[in-house]
Amino acid sequence: MPQPRQVRGTALNNFPSAPDKDDIDKTWDYLKSGIDRIHDNLQDGMDLKTYMGIYTAIHNFCTSQKAVGISSPATISSGAHRGAHLLGEDIYKKLIEYLTNSLEEHVKASESHQDEALLSYYIKEWNRYTIAAKYVHHLFRYLNRHWVKREMDEGKKHIYDVYTLHLVEWRAVLFNKVHEKVMGAVLKLVERQRQGETIEYSQIKSVVESFVSLGLDDQDSTKTTLEVYRYYFEKPFLEATKKFYTDESKQFVAENSVVEYMKKAEARLNEEEERVKMYLHPDIAVQLKKTCNQALIADHSDLLRDEFQVLLDNDREEDMARMYSLLSRIPDGLEPLRSKFEAHVRKAGLAAVTKVAADAEKLEPKVYVDALLEIHTQYQGLVKRAFNDEPEFTRSLDNACREFVNRNDVCKAGSSKSPELLAKYTDVLLRKSGTGIEEAELENTLTQIMTVFKYIEDKDVFQKFYSRMLARRLVHSTSSSDDAETSMISKLKEACGFEYTNKLQRMFQDMQISKDLNDGFKEHTQSLDSKVLDSQYSILGTGFWPLNPPTTTFNPPAEVAADCERFARFYKNKHDGRKLSWLWQLCKGEVKATYLRSMKSAVIFQVSAYQMAILLLFNEKDSHTYDDIASITALNSDALDPSLGILLKAKVLKSEGDKVGPGAVFNLNYEFKSKKLRVNLNVGMKSETKQEEVETNKTIEEDRKLLLQSAIVRIMKARKQMKHQQLVSECINQIRARFVPKVSDIKKCIEILLDKEYLERLDDDNLGYLA
Amino acid sequence: MSENAGIAKLILESNDGAKIEIDRQVGERSVLIKNLIEDLPEDEVSGQPIPIHNVNEAVLRKVIEWCEHHRNDPPTTDDDADTRKKTTDIEEWDQKFMQVDQEMLFEIILAANFLDIKPLLDVGCKTVANMIKGKSPEDIRKTFNITNDFTAEEEEQIRRENEWAEDR
Repeated sequence: MPQPRQVRGTALNNFPSAPDKDDIDKTWDYLKSGIDRIHDNLQDGMDLKTYMGIYTAIHNFCTSQKAVGISSPATISSGAHRGAHLLGEDIYKKLIEYLTNSLEEHVKASESHQDEALLSYYIKEWNRYTIAAKYVHHLFRYLNRHWVKREMDEGKKHIYDVYTLHLVEWRAVLFNKVHEKVMGAVLKLVERQRQGETIEYSQIKSVVESFVSLGLDDQDSTKTTLEVYRYYFEKPFLEATKKFYTDESKQFVAENSVVEYMKKAEARLNEEEERVKMYLHPDIAVQLKKTCNQALIADHSDLLRDEFQVLLDNDREEDMARMYSLLSRIPDGLEPLRSKFEAHVRKAGLAAVTKVAADAEKLEPKVYVDALLEIHTQYQGLVKRAFNDEPEFTRSLDNACREFVNRNDVCKAGSSKSPELLAKYTDVLLRKSGTGIEEAELENTLTQIMTVFKYIEDKDVFQKFYSRMLARRLVHSTSSSDDAETSMISKLKEACGFEYTNKLQRMFQDMQISKDLNDGFKEHTQSLDSKVLDSQYSILGTGFWPLNPPTTTFNPPAEVAADCERFARFYKNKHDGRKLSWLWQLCKGEVKATYLRSMKSAVIFQVSAYQMAILLLFNEKDSHTYDDIASITALNSDALDPSLGILLKAKVLKSEGDKVGPGAVFNLNYEFKSKKLRVNLNVGMKSETKQEEVETNKTIEEDRKLLLQSAIVRIMKARKQMKHQQLVSECINQIRARFVPKVSDIKKCIEILLDKEYLERLDDDNLGYLA
Repeated sequence: MSENAGIAKLILESNDGAKIEIDRQVGERSVLIKNLIEDLPEDEVSGQPIPIHNVNEAVLRKVIEWCEHHRNDPPTTDDDADTRKKTTDIEEWDQKFMQVDQEMLFEIILAANFLDIKPLLDVGCKTVANMIKGKSPEDIRKTFNITNDFTAEEEEQIRRENEWAEDR
């Protein structure tokens, strides 16, 4: 900082008479006339001479050296003590005094104005004052640069640059006296707008800007805070808003329907959002929203929620969407809707099931599954369209669906009916049939099956039925498409994991391996150069297939037995040590009937292995007694009787009075006629499938016990020691993906394991694991 | 407060009556003149000489010379000001520019202070600082033609107080 020095040179002819730089009063008088012009008559313009005059006068005053003697040019005055002292305080104080007086006059002038006129006055004065402040700030720049800066650097409080000083004075003198009246006028204006009038909102915008500008940070005057604005504008504004909407909504609700009210509230909320954008400071947005939400929604939330059931019953999607969007704005607003929604969906689901369950015994799987799906689809759509696909609503939907899928009129006897029907429907879809569903549609339907499957609690039951039916489809080659089968299995795997579909996949593999094996066997037999049967064998792994050995003894016919033995040798050769057992009840074949004189060409009978054994007997003679047949084939009556029954019914054989049983005599019917060249005699009997169902359900209970026991052992092996209660709940957790275990069953299983000494009882209700 | 974009030339008038025409861009190196152009109506500024009460022609021309050279410098910010203060380095052109007699040097400093041209003020003060650097009090007095008005005791006391700062 250079030492201020006296300026040489004389006043020039065309410069205005500059004041005596050492005399504060004279200097100030000179400055005041200029500042007056800026503050009161800026519209007339400022002239160059005054501008430079004022700047120079301040410069000269601040650099005058009244405290020291005049030094000669090119010589720096010696006194080191002078460097710390800068002049300017007097001017600064005079300026404060000037502003205070001027503002006090304006306060007086404001008293004659009311409402909008007051707003106009306030804004007019504010604009004038701030523009003037910018001019004065520039003119006083020398003071700002030196004296003010030094004071602030030294940490003096309440010293501001000249522009900020203007704002500080405005706040202290004028604002403090008029803000209430100004705010009152603002609020009146806003209320008029809320009542539908058009208003001059630019005035409010200016007031907001003014209030915001007055928020000065005491720590750093170059920064602004929103404190003044928040306290003097936001607070009263929010209070007025609250009152307005509380009153309005109370009255509106009393005179209109809830649906109408929701429309009104929605419109109001949008209006307020617009208002913020139009003329308020964005800082108010959150608070204003909160206030409106409280007055318009939260205060009426019970009323809204009571209406929800009505809207659900009448399927008023649009109104529900509106209610959702309103209640989503307040904390915990939606929870009651969700529970109502859940109860409603459950009721709808139960009703739909009841409607189709009139005759539970004859219930078509498709009808049942479609009924479940229809409800799910309907309400999933509602969640999507009215509830914004919100995850919590989806969860309510899931809860409701799980309830009505597992516990409904069809499942009265037990929840296993749902998975059973679902599995059967899947079987219908995947089996070769006349319906001929398109590939794409089939895939679609399978996806829907999975939707229901997701809700099934007894997934193990589904698995049981599914694997039985899959086995049947594979063994009898009745699958409609390998792709569809694979797709279904991968869907199940995705839903339940590898373990769930492991056996199903192994069944597929077995079929593939068998195919290769047969090819190998064909080659082998061709090299033998003897007359052989055209045979196919399937090797089914014992553990993976839900199949039981035959319940009857059986002597296969010699032709077949020879081929079987050959195959068995061939197989043993490849896989030494494996044991083959024959599932005769699943075997089938074709025999050509060349004895029929009435037919032009040979008829082919498609028959079971048992039927084949019976028919081949008639190659030797045309008549056999029941007892002969029984002793030669070694079949027991359970297997023999139905097989004979079908042959009689199809009129391939004849007997006296179509009787089957000891003493009956069977003759070959040479007069057999058929329109078709292939006659399928291998038809299962109704009672057979029924029996299978019962059997399947029986094995489920057994399997569950084993599953529970293995889960308990697994848990205990990991934990070594555990409280009884903990073990039960952990067990439920692990098993839940398959079925919902009963606590009493778990307890029974624990008892069994205690008896088997896998576990031991310890003190304090603890159980221990015995290795 | 218009931008007064129409103004291209300015006339400055020194206190001894010399009128010097300059480009607006050159004049705006002075914050005073920059604000003035902003604040005043166009017809006040264009064509009319701006009276620079405290500067004579010789000094004003010198200052304008500096402004011409630095007309394209980026506007200074507070951050630059701090880094500039920390070093006594002066760019070559400015060093040559400041090779003037002492009186002129001080006049330039005063004019820069009045016209509010911070970079020029800094260069001037640095030049003075460099004149002081490394000199004994006696040399400094000689350089600036200062009479020693300390008594021997006073001088001793000051020396002791400032001992910590001495190069050893």
